[in-house]
Amino acid sequence: MKPLRFPPLLAPPAIRRLGLADVAILCLLGGAIATVIAFAREFEAPLRQVVQIDLRPAALPKYTLYSLTRGVLALAISYLFALGFGWAAAKSRTAERLLLPLLDILQSIPVLGFLPGLVLGLMSLFPTRNMGLELAAILMIFTAQAWNLALSFYNSLKSLPDPLRDACRVAGWRASRTFWQLEVPAAAQGLVWNGMLSMAGGWFFLMVNEAFRLGDRDFRLPGIGSYMSVALDRGDTSAMALAILAMVVMIVCVDQLLWRPLVVWVEKFRLDETAGGASTASSWMLDFLRLARLPRRAKLFRRRAYLTARRATRPFERPWRAATPVILRGPRLALENPITRKVAALLFGAAVAAVALAGLWQLWLLLAQLGRTELGQLASSAALTFARVMAAVVLSTAWALPAGVVIGRSPRLARALQPVIQVVASFPAPMLFPIVILLFERIGVGLGIGAVALMVLAGQWYILFNVISAVAAIPEQLKDAAAAFQLPPVARWRTLYLPAAFPALVTGWVTAAGGAWNGSIVAEYIEAGGTLRVTRGLGSLISDATAHANFPLLAGGIAVMSVMVVGWNRLVWRSLMVWAQTRFGLGQ
Amino acid sequence: MTPGEVLLEAQQVTQRFRLPNGQILEALRQVSLAVREHEVVALVGPSGCGKSTLLRLFAGLSQPTEGSVRYRGRPLDGVLSAAAMVFQSFALLPWLTVAANVAMGLEARGVVGQARRDAVARAINLVGLDGFEQAYPRELSGGMKQRVGFARALAVAPEILLMDEPFGALDPLTAENLRSQVVDLWRDPSTGVNTLVVVTHSVEEAVFLAGRIVVFGSQPGHVREELSNPLPYPRQERSPDFETMVDRLHAILTATLLPEPAPAATPQRLIPFPRVHVSEVTGLLDHLLTRPDGKGPVFELAEDLGVDYDRMSAVVRGAEQLGWVTTPGDIVQLTAAGREVMAMDDQARKDTTRARLSKQPLFARVLAMLRESEGSVEDEEVLADLTIYFPFIPADSLFQTIVEWGRYAELLDHKADAARLTLLESPEGASESRPA
Repeated sequence: MKPLRFPPLLAPPAIRRLGLADVAILCLLGGAIATVIAFAREFEAPLRQVVQIDLRPAALPKYTLYSLTRGVLALAISYLFALGFGWAAAKSRTAERLLLPLLDILQSIPVLGFLPGLVLGLMSLFPTRNMGLELAAILMIFTAQAWNLALSFYNSLKSLPDPLRDACRVAGWRASRTFWQLEVPAAAQGLVWNGMLSMAGGWFFLMVNEAFRLGDRDFRLPGIGSYMSVALDRGDTSAMALAILAMVVMIVCVDQLLWRPLVVWVEKFRLDETAGGASTASSWMLDFLRLARLPRRAKLFRRRAYLTARRATRPFERPWRAATPVILRGPRLALENPITRKVAALLFGAAVAAVALAGLWQLWLLLAQLGRTELGQLASSAALTFARVMAAVVLSTAWALPAGVVIGRSPRLARALQPVIQVVASFPAPMLFPIVILLFERIGVGLGIGAVALMVLAGQWYILFNVISAVAAIPEQLKDAAAAFQLPPVARWRTLYLPAAFPALVTGWVTAAGGAWNGSIVAEYIEAGGTLRVTRGLGSLISDATAHANFPLLAGGIAVMSVMVVGWNRLVWRSLMVWAQTRFGLGQ
Repeated sequence: MTPGEVLLEAQQVTQRFRLPNGQILEALRQVSLAVREHEVVALVGPSGCGKSTLLRLFAGLSQPTEGSVRYRGRPLDGVLSAAAMVFQSFALLPWLTVAANVAMGLEARGVVGQARRDAVARAINLVGLDGFEQAYPRELSGGMKQRVGFARALAVAPEILLMDEPFGALDPLTAENLRSQVVDLWRDPSTGVNTLVVVTHSVEEAVFLAGRIVVFGSQPGHVREELSNPLPYPRQERSPDFETMVDRLHAILTATLLPEPAPAATPQRLIPFPRVHVSEVTGLLDHLLTRPDGKGPVFELAEDLGVDYDRMSAVVRGAEQLGWVTTPGDIVQLTAAGREVMAMDDQARKDTTRARLSKQPLFARVLAMLRESEGSVEDEEVLADLTIYFPFIPADSLFQTIVEWGRYAELLDHKADAARLTLLESPEGASESRPA
């Protein structure tokens, strides 16, 4: 009989000699550990009022690693959150009804506005250390990463075919095993692709997160974002260029070393077994890892460690097994009884309502301090920024739609450009804002118009990506039909490409508008070359209120922006999306 | 093997589901059925008759709304570990190898280490998949995948093997081959499997496998009739006894699928129009024209036209409601009107269909609704009306049928963008308001 546990490749015992690949992996591991240790030391360092940022190029790698570590930590937290959140929403109808709208709102409101409160709160928790500031930065990155991951996990749980679930239940799998061996693998592809997007989204506010001013206090963390902002303050052009270069190098490295291999690897977890979906993607890193012997050794070690752990816990197994039913019986009995269930639901609902009311009351107390002039200021700024957001969406569409169609309809072009665009799109646009504004000033364009261009930078990629993938997904037969009937180019665009791209275009608009709203906070209020440039708008109002620690106005600005974004999503984008899907959806 | 004591028993089971649109669907009503040791029971009936629902209840995968399911006299609490299940869609985890898929149920039954490897190897050996242990499901053909499905079920040596249309997704050749292997597995005492419950669509399959055949009726699902099948194993599909058995089952199913028309005392009763396409009905009439006397048994027609029997009977019911065929017993007979309509050109055929549909009670009702509201009604209103009259039939499928036939007969039109039905009563009006 053949051994079933390991692939036959492992059988020969001659795996002693270390290869070059193993050395490389060891070095990488060592580097990662060193970074984490250095980072932890940073955590413990006493709080200096202002961290001195060293502009010498030699310091840049260290700063880049600090920023990267924050992003990776936040991503890890985001994944944990997504698994818990998505699972709860998919399993319980009550949770679903509560969590989905919450998610919808959380992902569309400008989280940056909460940074001041978060920083101050966490700083008072850890008054003598940098820990509070670090935690605040990580939490802020988390808020830019978590929502789409949670939504993706929830969606794949919901679309899991019933027979697969039944098969696991008939096999007697416990819920935890079904989770790790059915539900998570089935969601793996979505989780990896969305993780990629999340990582890029997390960089967006890098500069603000790491170099943040509240009133006359200056909160700064060592990182590539604060390096850039100091370089901007001093007008040090070479340092700016170096920071941008470092950022690009980091993004390319993360893409090549982390995401590419993951994307290729999760191909294994595809649920639809249709042929033709075989991906042509490849990753030199994954091939390299597959060649290396260390991971296989690691697997063996892991198994041994697992067995040892099992052996060690064996004495506890029996009491545990006896205790669990007793522990579980109480809640289970309570949940099975309709009366207690109703009472519990009522209590839960009451608690949620109480928290919501308390929050509303606090908000009202803040807003009540706003005077008439300030309210007028809020309304006019909101109108201005709204106009800028819409202009940014229109401008982004004007170039990204044709470009997306052209790239998407040629598989060769799409394959060649996709990685490039991905890297470019991951680059945090706000790092470029000051440079773009300086250029604009030279040609005589003010920030009032310039802010629109900055918001285009913040939102355009979503449109481009969505259009490319929609056009690439047009069935080959439809394209053949268009060719066979010799449709002239104009008709081909009007009857085939544009309608087919339209549903994806609407999705792109939603995200692009979200990006533009978020971008307005940094686009309308820019410090470059040591001088501050401000143009009227909701974003600059929020930034200004933050800078002057004017909390009532800050709360008002965030509230207005949240209501506008969520309202517009619900009223306009959603109905447009439904219409686009029924009218132009390709699924028949 | 003679049936022994009762293993699984459903007592007065009723099962209801809430559809996404809020409609409540009764899948089973007061069904009682006992499965004994050493038995092979086949559940047959039209789609939507609740036979798969009953199988899931037996497996403990869902709990009945009313009534109880018992295993050896004790009510089921959760999934029944004495049972294993084989699925129509295979339900293999694509990221696990064949061996890992087969081992799925072993750990929970306390089979670990070497014993598990042995059990997996034996099950793989039983279904003839040696050498494929390390393959992934996507590398296998449909038949091989279902072998893995069987191996997974056999690996846990279940007392009862529940099969939900196990050969439904396979090509006929593979299905036949696997079917006789299932009988061999059941008769082989070393596998430990001694009781089978199989849900199937195919009459031949039921007669080939089962010692007892339970025929279900639909709307709501209930047991119509039980038939015992004493033919000795292994069964020969071409033997006269086998064919007699198949014919008997056909006759019972026909009575279920094509009930005799309701007595004339209730002419105003609304009859749902079956979910069939215009082309299917004309296809049936075309085929009948080629037969001597324009008639044939419904199962033969199904076989000739390559559709399954409950689809065929739906088409026959549609044609019958339009008066183009009659169904004495299980014979489908083309009527004079049916011959006439086939001789007409397209436009005349549409006109006749329009005349006949206007008299069909369901269409008549929708048309009356349209006339009352000046020729245009919102979809929602019609759907609500249909739900009231036919609580057990998904309203949107009925609605689609109405739209398709109404459009064909130029009686009405549907504006999907505005979600409204509109009336096109007279032919002149029809041609004017038709989109260019």
